[in-house]
Amino acid sequence: MRNRFRPSVIVSVAIVTVLVLTGTVTTGQSPTYKAPRTTDGKPNLNGVWQALNEAYWDIETHPAAPGSVTALGAAGAIPPGPGLVEGGLLPYQPAAAEQKKKNFENRLTLDPEIKCYLPGVPRANYMPYPFQIIQTPKYIMMVYTFARAVRTIYMDDHKEAPADSWMGWSNGRWEGETLVVDTTGFNGQAWFDRAGNFHSDALHVVERFTATSPDHLLYEATIEDKNVFTRPWKISMPIYRRLERNAQIMDFRCVEFAEDLIYGHLRKPSGK
Amino acid sequence: MSMKRAVVFAGVGVLLAAAPLLAHHAFSAEFDVNKPMKLQGTLVKWEMINPHSWFHIDVKGPDGQMIRWLVEGGSPNQLIRLGVTKSTLSSGMELLIEGYLARDGTNKGVGRNFTLADGRRLFLGGSAPGGGAESGPVAK
Amino acid sequence: MNHRFLVVGSGLIVLVALMWSATIPVAGQARAYRAPRTPDGQPDLQGFWTNTTYTPLQRPKEITKEFYTREEALEILKTSAVLESEQTEPGTIPDVHYDFTQFGLDRNQGGLALNLRTSLIFDPPNGQLPPMTAEGQKRTAARAEARKRMGRPTDAVQNQSLSVRCILMDRAGPPMLPGAYNNNYQIVQAPGYVMILVEMIHEPRIIPIDGRAHLPQHVRSLTGNPTGRWEGETLVVETTNFTDKTGFQGSSENMRLTERFTRVAEDRILYQFTIDDPATWTRPWSAELPMQKTIGPIFEHACHEGNRGLYNTLAGARAEDKKAAEDAARKSSSQ
Repeated sequence: MRNRFRPSVIVSVAIVTVLVLTGTVTTGQSPTYKAPRTTDGKPNLNGVWQALNEAYWDIETHPAAPGSVTALGAAGAIPPGPGLVEGGLLPYQPAAAEQKKKNFENRLTLDPEIKCYLPGVPRANYMPYPFQIIQTPKYIMMVYTFARAVRTIYMDDHKEAPADSWMGWSNGRWEGETLVVDTTGFNGQAWFDRAGNFHSDALHVVERFTATSPDHLLYEATIEDKNVFTRPWKISMPIYRRLERNAQIMDFRCVEFAEDLIYGHLRKPSGK
Repeated sequence: MSMKRAVVFAGVGVLLAAAPLLAHHAFSAEFDVNKPMKLQGTLVKWEMINPHSWFHIDVKGPDGQMIRWLVEGGSPNQLIRLGVTKSTLSSGMELLIEGYLARDGTNKGVGRNFTLADGRRLFLGGSAPGGGAESGPVAK
Repeated sequence: MNHRFLVVGSGLIVLVALMWSATIPVAGQARAYRAPRTPDGQPDLQGFWTNTTYTPLQRPKEITKEFYTREEALEILKTSAVLESEQTEPGTIPDVHYDFTQFGLDRNQGGLALNLRTSLIFDPPNGQLPPMTAEGQKRTAARAEARKRMGRPTDAVQNQSLSVRCILMDRAGPPMLPGAYNNNYQIVQAPGYVMILVEMIHEPRIIPIDGRAHLPQHVRSLTGNPTGRWEGETLVVETTNFTDKTGFQGSSENMRLTERFTRVAEDRILYQFTIDDPATWTRPWSAELPMQKTIGPIFEHACHEGNRGLYNTLAGARAEDKKAAEDAARKSSSQ
């Protein structure tokens, strides 16, 4: 697998990773790179993309920790990660901090990922699988590998969410080099990661996608939830273009992998 | 009726037999035809979820205490296209629901008919062609 | 009941008038319409479309012609809509349901295009599936046998259909055929790709138009692996690498599907497909139906996440099993 990456990409991935670790990639930085344009003159974000970090385990800065499935041993351990959150930790209200702790303790039964539920936003963006941006003037589609989740970003005809959903209702606009996506209308059932970091249906996410090279996006998001946090907080990370010639979103239809977990206790006992 | 039309109508029966209004799942496996239900209560919330939406209803029990019921309705997606949103129905509104109880014996059922306190049918007004005054609340 | 009839009937006339803006093209007939172009020069298929229809896949035996007259087709539409909206008899199995019309889910309210064809299948010209090969018949019998061995649908989640399990709506295929409701699709086009978002179970079909090869034969999935190309006005999508879990009309996993999307009017796409599966049928067969322009949005159809129906069905069966066991125990102890 590794030999499919060009050496230059490995190098640039390494450099950016170092930059992130040392905190040199700052949010709000004015980009000097100007992306190629689509036919309607907007930065061209089309492509197959993927984040490369440990935030899918825990978006907060975290040390390595044991996993919860003995049989998986080291392969199931929680890898350490610098996290995505500006300042390292989430500003939970006291009751919410308690809830987060409970979520973590009971993550095997509560984490929606385990049940193949739609990942929500921003979680979908840093799961360890590729997603594809299909960009048109009126609609920008983001198709994620996990659970075949889809986001439709409405670039004009902005409306309020007609109803609550897992992936939310996204209105988008261009600010120079940056795609800004404003998402509300969440059902409050998604999590941020496998560590039980969570939000309510009052979640409001404003994401900024800015190309910083032909093969990198800077992803920044401001997250607000008055029911759970004491103040808005920010995350940022680079997102990398999948450069393999056969990069694509393959079918990860995970429902059938979670059915025995969800419905297994309702199976008719055999021998009756 | 001309011969030609008779043939056409004979075809319609076949057409519908060939393409019945199939639901997402066998409702009679989820709900019991032998257990009809009639609920009168107040709407707590309407979950506009798929594959079928769910109405949470508080019904006053015989001893005066409120009992929460879950009642299944249709996919919200077409109603959303027709202009219905999460603010179309407000909590606290009175609903009369006829339907059938779930087989698992919990406080659940399918809502065969949803009627408002004033006797109007729910929703149909704004969406059904030619509907109108006799139904509500309406879309748009 | 009479009043209902009038309401639905009068509404239908308006609906059909709105949708009757294009002549129904016949396969192979020269088409005058030229679709608008995307900035990179592709025919523009973008927008929201519905393929709702009352027309069956195979021609009913009573019908001997290929096309209805427009008058006949309108009559069928009207009658079908009325039949569909009629109330079922309380206390009967079909009545165990919510009322589709109350949720705008009947085909009439969903919007549909008038189709003069008497069947979706136009080749063979008799509108019927071609005869099955001996191998196809054997496989069909083996599948039925395997289903029987699995036990009742309520015995285990895996015994339920893919649709009920919210894995894939069987009708969504591909090929994309309509069911009762939410037969909606959004098409978007970006350089190198056409994407079709199928409303039911939020199924994204990403079709690369860059000449790439299909995935290796052993990498199979329920919806197969599509590649696309333009042939003049028409988007041609070839899909292979299916599994044997879908079995479209009895097909094998080696079915080769060719779909053709042609915009034949501002508000209409002609959708045609050909199934080539020599392991199942003695010859390839083809069908077509219109996709009519409709309105958005396509709201998230998070079917698995909200699948209480499946849970209730299985839980209901176990509750009834338990009661039956208790009844039996009581009976034997009282004897």
